[in-house]
Amino acid sequence: MAVVLGYDESPGAERALSASIEVASAFGEPLVIVYAIGPPGVVGEEYASHREALLALGRTAVTRAVEAAHDAGVPTTVELVDAKPSQALLDVADKHDARVIVVGTWGESPIKGAMLGSTPHKLLHLSARPILCVPAAE
Amino acid sequence: MAQVEEESQDGLKAGAIGFVDALVIGLNSTSPAYSIAAVIGALVALAGVHAPGIIIASFVPMLLIASAFFYLNRVDQDCGTTFSWVTRAMGPWAGWLGGWAITMTGILVVGSLADVGVSFGLRGFGLDDLADNAVVRQSLAVVLILVMTAICVAGTEGSAKLQNVLILLQVLFLLVFAVVAIYRVYTDDSSLDSVKPAWDWLNPFAAGGTALTAGLLLGVFMYWGWESAVNLTEEVEDSASAPGRAGIWSTILLLVTYVSVGFAVVAYAGTTFLTDNADEEEFVFALLATEVLGSWDWIVFFAVATSAIASTQTTILPASRTALSMARRRALPHAFGHVSHRFRTPDVSTWAVAGIAIAWYLIVNQISENALFDSLSALALLIAFYYALTGIACAVYYRKHLTESVKNFILIGVGPLIGSALLIWLLVEAIIDLSDPENSYSGVSWFGLGPPLVIGIGIALTGVLVMVYWRFTAPAFWDERPGVADPALVNGKQR
Repeated sequence: MAVVLGYDESPGAERALSASIEVASAFGEPLVIVYAIGPPGVVGEEYASHREALLALGRTAVTRAVEAAHDAGVPTTVELVDAKPSQALLDVADKHDARVIVVGTWGESPIKGAMLGSTPHKLLHLSARPILCVPAAE
Repeated sequence: MAQVEEESQDGLKAGAIGFVDALVIGLNSTSPAYSIAAVIGALVALAGVHAPGIIIASFVPMLLIASAFFYLNRVDQDCGTTFSWVTRAMGPWAGWLGGWAITMTGILVVGSLADVGVSFGLRGFGLDDLADNAVVRQSLAVVLILVMTAICVAGTEGSAKLQNVLILLQVLFLLVFAVVAIYRVYTDDSSLDSVKPAWDWLNPFAAGGTALTAGLLLGVFMYWGWESAVNLTEEVEDSASAPGRAGIWSTILLLVTYVSVGFAVVAYAGTTFLTDNADEEEFVFALLATEVLGSWDWIVFFAVATSAIASTQTTILPASRTALSMARRRALPHAFGHVSHRFRTPDVSTWAVAGIAIAWYLIVNQISENALFDSLSALALLIAFYYALTGIACAVYYRKHLTESVKNFILIGVGPLIGSALLIWLLVEAIIDLSDPENSYSGVSWFGLGPPLVIGIGIALTGVLVMVYWRFTAPAFWDERPGVADPALVNGKQR
């Protein structure tokens, strides 16, 4: 089993990272850091550039997370997945038989989240595994 | 230590899109109802009864250029487009101009899309007075562009299914319009001076020289975007797959819809009505919808409105992605390459495209009533330019593979080159025609030239100036060197 972390630029991501490191070391399980690079919107002109831009963003973002996990002595894998965030997390969780999926939240109103497509919101409804939602520090 | 595992996936996931989705993408890429509403009036005014012939004839260059898009997409996959391909095949100068043209087409058309969307939407609710009020219409159009841009940046959930239904309904409603109109012609029930359709209407050459070239250019505008439907067929080698079939079906549906609406308009209205209303191109289709369908005219209004509104959104995204792509290759300032952390969309370039589009729309409406139509003609010039460039780029990029087989030679070399030649010929003819202001829709003279030509030249000149400025302030992009198609990808590529 493993602990799967959805890591992005959300305000809750840093706390989600430390929460996932705590959980992973408590269970003695590896941490899988997921970054989704599926561009939103229809496939179309210059899709590739859009995807590459996200890939570059993702690489920088996860580097910090990997360092933090490494310092805590937790074995880490990074998965950059070509899908939208919620689907990417569900797929990776299945692949690694995740104990729990950890995500940071944006701390926005439920209606705004539903309209904009909040990833934690979708995961809570779709996932067959436990979800740990971590809000940003007050 | 951490190891990075990347799922590298080329292009569309197999089986990711079903038949209906693919059909919808194919149809929506050209937004048929909007295209017809925008162009049919001008087309019949130019070509009279031979409008259906012009509609078919202008599909020919489109088909040849689509072949170029299809093959270029195979070596530079994931739907890259004119900017990256032309840069790779013919170097940074030509590539930059191609990217500029493609972004500008987006900017020019967004105002017209929103205007048509608002105007037909209001008519659909019976609010014709508001639709005719320029201030109300323009304010609503600006609001519409802003809302659609926000949706492009932030994304929405759950609207995809609804959109599919609307797009299919749109085509259905157009066909209903055509069938009812032709039925009423044959039962002599037309409220206007109708004429019976004749096979001769399919002959584009009978329309005469100027009408033919100007008409073909408008026809290119009608099919604009269709090349992205062609890319669906690449999903597979066996064309039995859903997207492959959908690509073909959407094309057949599109042609049938355009030609039957062309026939219906000319037959029902008759030439006298069309000549009498020749200076009201924008409203001809709306007028006719009411004449043909009576109190059911709202179905056509809503078809056009949904088509235009949906396209406002689907036009902004590609234009901003081209700007993103140019910025990432240092052909534009770095800021345009910014991607929103929250929404993962190119927010800076999207808002920039929308901002310039709104400014353009408002300015052009201040200058002239018909300027929106003149800017559509200018748009057709730009489209012809970047399509021609793409056709040539295809043959150049693949130059080492043209003689490998007869199929390669025709589909990759000769076909796209003929398509480009046709478009360049249209471009030259149109420029000659438009240099006489009498031949533009508004008939106004700007600097002694037709407004569409002035707009086209203005955009080209601005492009060249920006390009030269950028060449000397940030020359990094100009280090890119043209190359040829990667042989490994040309033949061995199996998806």
